[in-house]
Formats: sequence, C-alpha cells, structure tokens
Amino acid sequence: MLQYWTAILTEASIFSVLALGVDMIWGWAGDFDLSAYAYFALGIYITMILTIGKPRSPVTYVLGWHIPYLLAVPLAVIVVVAFAAIIGSIALRSLREVYFSITTLGAVWAIYYFVENYTPLFNGYNGLSGLNDPMGGNLSYRTYHFFFFGFCLIVLVLVYLLVMRLSKSPFGRMVRAVRDDEKAAAVFGRNIFWTKYRTYLFGASLAGLGGGLFAAYIGAFNPLDWKPTEIFVLYAAILVGGRGNPKGVVLGSFIVYVGFVEMTRYIPSPASRPELGPALRQILIGLLIILMLRFRPSGLIPEQLGTDKSKTEGV
Amino acid sequence: MNIFWISVGLGISTAAILALSAVAFTLEYAVSRVVNLAHGEVLTIGAYTAYVAETTFHQNIYICALLATIMGAVTGMGLNFFLIERFRKQKVISTLIATLGASLILQNSLLIAFGGASVSYGFDQGNLLHVGPFLWTTLTIKVIIAAVLVAVLIYFLLQRTRLGKALRAVSQNRELAQVSGIPARSVVMRTWAVSGAISGFAGFLYGETIGTITPGIGNGFLLLSITAAVGGGLGRAYATLGGAIVLGLVMAIAGTYTSSAYQLVIAFAFLSVMLLVKPNGVFVRGRAQKVRA
Repeated sequence: MLQYWTAILTEASIFSVLALGVDMIWGWAGDFDLSAYAYFALGIYITMILTIGKPRSPVTYVLGWHIPYLLAVPLAVIVVVAFAAIIGSIALRSLREVYFSITTLGAVWAIYYFVENYTPLFNGYNGLSGLNDPMGGNLSYRTYHFFFFGFCLIVLVLVYLLVMRLSKSPFGRMVRAVRDDEKAAAVFGRNIFWTKYRTYLFGASLAGLGGGLFAAYIGAFNPLDWKPTEIFVLYAAILVGGRGNPKGVVLGSFIVYVGFVEMTRYIPSPASRPELGPALRQILIGLLIILMLRFRPSGLIPEQLGTDKSKTEGV
Repeated sequence: MNIFWISVGLGISTAAILALSAVAFTLEYAVSRVVNLAHGEVLTIGAYTAYVAETTFHQNIYICALLATIMGAVTGMGLNFFLIERFRKQKVISTLIATLGASLILQNSLLIAFGGASVSYGFDQGNLLHVGPFLWTTLTIKVIIAAVLVAVLIYFLLQRTRLGKALRAVSQNRELAQVSGIPARSVVMRTWAVSGAISGFAGFLYGETIGTITPGIGNGFLLLSITAAVGGGLGRAYATLGGAIVLGLVMAIAGTYTSSAYQLVIAFAFLSVMLLVKPNGVFVRGRAQKVRA
C-alpha cells in the first residue's frame, strides 16, 4: 500500500512539473497549446534512446547511446526546446487564439502518426523499453522507489520556486500584459512575438523535463501511452487549481491525479470490457473541464495580478 | 501514369466526403464563431447509427443513410443547446476548450456503448468499374454522386431559401441581424441542425468508404476538416468546399507516392503552409477576417 501511494505521488509530482510548463503557455501567455504532450513524449523518447544502449534486432531506433541518466535528461530538454522552437515559430509568429490552437492540434497529431508509423525513429508502434534502473543499481528495489519519489519531489520544488520567481518578476508581468492587451503592450515597447516565443520555449522545456523524469518512472514507452487527447487531464488540472497561478496549478495537479485519476481506477472494469474504466475516467475529465469553465473559470486559487507596490501617489 | 489516375480517383471520393464534413464545420463557425472540436464525434455518431440500423434492424442502405442524417442533426442541436449557447458570452477559446470536453465525453460514451474493436457495414461493395482513367467500385460512384447532390442542396439552401439568407446575415453580425428582426437564436439552432445532418450523412459515407468504424475515426477526420476549412477560408461555405477538394486530391496523390499512414502529416504540412502564406484562406478575396493580432 505504501508503495502504491509512493507511485501515485511520484506520478503527480512529475505531472505537476508538466502542468507548470503548460500553464506558462496557456495561463500566462494565453495561448491554448495542444502540442505540449508531444514535447512530453519527445522528452521521454530522447531520454530513453540516450540511456538504453544499442538497439537489438528487430527493435530499431536512432542513436542508442549509453550515457548516465542525469546527463541524458538535460540533453533531452535541449532537443525538446529546439523542436518546440520550430513548431512555435510556425504557430506563434502571426497566429492567435483558435488559429494557434488549430495549428498545434495539427502538429501533435502529425507528430503522433509519424512516430507511430516511422519505425526507424523510435521503434514505431511497439515503442521503447529498458530504462529500468537509472541510478545504476546501487539501491534495492524498495528503497529505489522512495529515493526516486524524493528525487522527483526535489525537482518539483526547484521548478516551482523558479516558476514562482519568474511569475513575480518583470518578465512574468510582461507576459501577462501581452496576454491581456497585445496592442497596449506593443505601444509600451514590448516585443510581442519574442515575449510569447520565450514563454512557449520555457513551457516546452518543463514539458521535456517532465518527460525525462517520467521516462525513468515507467521504463517503457509506446504511442499508446501518449494519445494526444491525454493532454485534457492536464488542462483539467490547471482549470481546477487556478489558471495562471503556479500554486493553484500544483494543487490542481495533485487533486486531479490523486483524487480523480486514481480513485476512478476503482470503478469496476469487467475482464470482458477492459475499456470501461478508462472511458468513464475520460468522460469525467470532459465533464470536469466543461463545468469548471462554465461555473468557476478562475479555479480554486485564482491568479493574483501584480499590483503597484510603489509608495508614490499618482502622476 | 495509370497509378496516378487511380490515386486521383481515390482522391475525388475522399474529397467528396471531406467537402461535406468541412462545409458542416465551417457553417458552425459561421453562425456561432466556434471551432467545434466535437465535430468528428458527430460524424462518428452518424456512422454508428447506420451500423446499428443495418445490423440490428436490417434496414436497407437508404434508410440507414437517412437515420444517420437524422441522428447527426439531433446531435448537432444538442451540442448547440447544451454547450455552445451556454458559452456564448465567454471567450472564443473557452468555447473551443468546452467542445474538446464534449468530444471526450461523446467519444468515450461511444467506446462504452460499442467497445473499442472496429465494426463494419455489410453493404455490397459492387463491381470494379473503369470510368475514364479512374478505377472505382459502384459503391464509390454512389458515394460521389450522393456527396455532389448534398453539395448542390447546400448551395440552394444558402442562396435560395429564407433560412439561407438569415444564416448569412447572422454569420455577418448576429446582433445586427437580431435587431433587423431575424430570430437569431432559432436561425443558429437550425444551422446546427443542418450542419449536424450533413455531418451525420458524411460520417455514414466515410464509414462505408473506409470499411471499418471505431470510436476514434472522428479524430483524424476532424483534423482534415479543419485543414480544409482553414485552408479554403474558415466560415465561408464555398471557399471551404474548394479547400476540401484541393486537400483531398493532394493527400491522395502524395499518399500514393509515400504511404497512406502519413496522410495527416501531409495534411499538417498543407495547413502550416496555408496559415503562414495565406491565413485568411486561399479562396477568399481580399481581407476577410482578422487572423493576425
């Protein structure tokens, strides 16, 4: 039981990192991005091909290095950011609102079908496996799980502190100003594209980092694990917690992942109908998104906009 | 050369179905300013309705098509009533997210009702025929004829009926149409019924053409519909029609020389180029709508 809860909390911590990244793109910059799951998946794939060594026939994938896990994750993040730079430059340069979302939706499905069908890249439909013990086998199975949970929690805390600091910095306020009124922000000398683009890349880097952690958590990964529709769970988490507020996003991620995803696992799923449980879960997620949007769009902990703290009276 | 013409023939049948689906999608955008991401599920519901009618109630192909159309209309009206109208006062992007939620709910309800395994109709595929340079089955020819007929019907609806006129007025400016005495709410509702009906019928044709139906077939077709609509001109029925025909042909021809698995990759490349070069749509003259910030 203890191990079960450790696993759930590890998962929730990893998804909080991912949600913090997605929230920067949607909550701060106002761009409803649907391709974030591709960055997450890419982070997982890259981490794996950098650590699991040469492919053994009939498995095929590129690279196949065998470098330490802690070195592979930053490299994966770099690759993910480079990739997001391409998608972002298409989607953000002149497109906004629904046109941006449509472009990212097209991107994620295109990437999904490409990865699934082009086997030389990441072994296609069957996926990769073999990242079993990233810490080098010095720990027993039990202690390793606790250790890895601690590791993920430390990463989450560091990311949270960084994001919180960024959120309150002039950069964080600039991103929100651009979101609320692009023209006004441009009049005050802000570069709209560059602001949104940097936020997008930062968000994608957190998605990649989450992927790097998740790679070690599950050890094996194939396209069935990252159906682009899974991203709605993330958006549900952000909506519940409070869009644009890092505190709320972490809270929402834990509520949705622990409370919602795990509890609905107990919905009986007869052996003849294995799809019943997951399908009900997705329906509940859809309902949660619609109801939150309709009745409490700012979430449990609403975003706190920066206030003028200077003592000077008026102009 | 021969294989080229066969792929063009396939492209025409894909384009015909895609045209219907994309026009339905664009009409929804025209009256409600909403990118309906649950559109794919309306098609899927149409396909499954025909499947149930055929296997359970042993109806013939025309009754199946009719039932799929009716069920599509009901779904469209339900979406408008329970979702779109409730979100009318909110931002466009909130409505888009809400339709994503609806898509999740509908798709997984289908999964629960019918299971994940693929099903297929038992209709006769007919004989292989050489028509000019193309190679078609009699069923494909029927599909193409049906799609063209529906497109003609849409044209008459838009240009020659009171509803069509009101629809065009509402799509230009809902408030202005309302103060001019057009019952905007009811026009929007009827438009959703029409577009749902077209989607349901298109779903039936699609299921019949690809042969297998799963709860997820809407995902890919939604993307193709979006690409056709945005590429041609979102919210413009005839521009969307043009976009769908071009996209259908491009995909079939490109797919023949690479692999049909990469259809969506090709469609995305097409969409990206369109959005970068001509974001208002290829078949729209002048500056139509605000896409850029």
